Amino acid sequence: MNFLTDSLRSALLLVLSRDPEMLEIVGLSLKVSCLSTLLAALAGVPLGFFIAFTEFRGRRLAITLLNTLLALPTVVIGLLVYGFLSRHGLLGSLDLLYTWKAMVIGQVILIVPVVTALTIAAISRIDDRYRKTAMTLGAGRLRTGLVIFREARFGIVAAVIAAFGRVISEVGISMMLGGNIRGFTRTMTTAMALEYDKGSFTLAVALGIVLMTISLVMNVLLNFFQGRARM
Amino acid sequence: MSLYYARDLTRIHGRRTVLAIDSLDIESGRIHGLLGANGAGKTTLLNILAFLDVPTAGHLGFDGRPVRFSGSHLRRLRRQVVLVDQHPVAFSTTVAGNIEFGLKIRRIGRRQRVRIIDEVLALVGLEGFRNASARGLSGGETQRLAMARALAVTPKVLLCDEPTSSVDVENQAAIVDILRRINRERGISIIFTTHDRQLAAGLADRILYLDHGRLVATGWENVFSCTVEGHDERHDRCLLPGGRRLLLPRGLAPAPGICRLSIDPRAVQLAPPARETEAEQGLRGRVVLLTAEGEQVRMVVDAGIRITLFIDPARYRTLRPGIGDEVALAVQPQGICFLAGR
Repeated sequence: MNFLTDSLRSALLLVLSRDPEMLEIVGLSLKVSCLSTLLAALAGVPLGFFIAFTEFRGRRLAITLLNTLLALPTVVIGLLVYGFLSRHGLLGSLDLLYTWKAMVIGQVILIVPVVTALTIAAISRIDDRYRKTAMTLGAGRLRTGLVIFREARFGIVAAVIAAFGRVISEVGISMMLGGNIRGFTRTMTTAMALEYDKGSFTLAVALGIVLMTISLVMNVLLNFFQGRARM
Repeated sequence: MSLYYARDLTRIHGRRTVLAIDSLDIESGRIHGLLGANGAGKTTLLNILAFLDVPTAGHLGFDGRPVRFSGSHLRRLRRQVVLVDQHPVAFSTTVAGNIEFGLKIRRIGRRQRVRIIDEVLALVGLEGFRNASARGLSGGETQRLAMARALAVTPKVLLCDEPTSSVDVENQAAIVDILRRINRERGISIIFTTHDRQLAAGLADRILYLDHGRLVATGWENVFSCTVEGHDERHDRCLLPGGRRLLLPRGLAPAPGICRLSIDPRAVQLAPPARETEAEQGLRGRVVLLTAEGEQVRMVVDAGIRITLFIDPARYRTLRPGIGDEVALAVQPQGICFLAGR
């Protein structure tokens, strides 16, 4: 019990003292997660919108595939991207392996299905009367789409926040593609794993506190936007 | 010239034919009421007339020209016709923002947009709500906003799906008044659907009846399920709900079994007292409702089933039946029609 309380006390002091190493790790984690979320949103939101709004052959199959990809383990993605980025891989010449860019690539692959599937769900929840109303008032296909998008905006923001929550807390991709190199690719989750291995819990618990705080903020935001989406 | 014409128009959903209209003509500048039970095809017809749905087969004409159901052609036609939904939705913006939507699509300048918004808000009595959030409006106010949003784009035709079904009495009166005024003052043709025969009779210049997707020449409200029991030498026997029996001239009823029967209110007459006993193919019941409807008196008689009939005012003054009085009804065979389906 003493061990836990001592670790927690030391960790809190570390957080409050704004330890430079800890801040660097948090900074890199946020940078990688924000960038991968942004890229995934740029790809996933339009894709989700297209699938939800358009009737085409194989639509149901595409949705089933996306839902399956939601359960894709991070280590499988890590392995797949490693195959492409390793020295002998198809993209080996780009020398991306064990850089933060490789982590971004892996994380984008992880959350594009999340953003897409949740965008489809958000668009599908919008009452068909919005489409009908826009059309009867003279809107073409594009403007009708924009109306639906506008009405689904809170649901779409919630999708992006959920995706961010997924990447900020993942460890497999960061470890396999980033390599957990101090000062370069060490993120909160990989650092926690390493500190645990070393039996040094202070930094691990401190990072855990930061991660949980970020998670809490994300969940508050998610609840807020999901609440607005249901209004 | 007809505003709309439809020939052999059908709409099939899956295996179900929801609309099968042989011939329909709708005149310009008038108010048409579309009556029918739930599932009669009213909304489907309205969606086709609004160019939001495509018929499975048949021909539709608008403004004297055949309608081609291609994207760009339909979009052009939609600029002239606006449909107001039974439960309209408001875009998540202000009241003015909602009205502005159609105007922006038509590239109307800002100053003119402001003028039009003020004008239509005054027309529907929502002047004070200009900058209010449209989502905060009540059901009746949303219905009026939807009306204002539609009128802002000055359509040739306004289609209203059950415009008064989801609003209170006060808003009902306001909506009916708006519809009358825009028809009279702006010459906008109006087609509305309703279950309410009184509303249809009071508002519409012409009433169309839909039953199981077909246009029928019947008063719609006198539609009952019944059991054809069989026949004797002179009559077919028909058992109505409530256990009343209707005797029809031999050969009028279909084969024995359950079916649906329509009695045209114009074919039901009060039997004169002297002949009451002779009204063998008629019914007896008590008067439960009397209203003035246009130039006629509408009477509802509880004869086990509620039968509506219309009486000429002169004849009403002669017979003077009051509420609660027992009367005998004579049903003219030509006003009886057996409908498809149960």
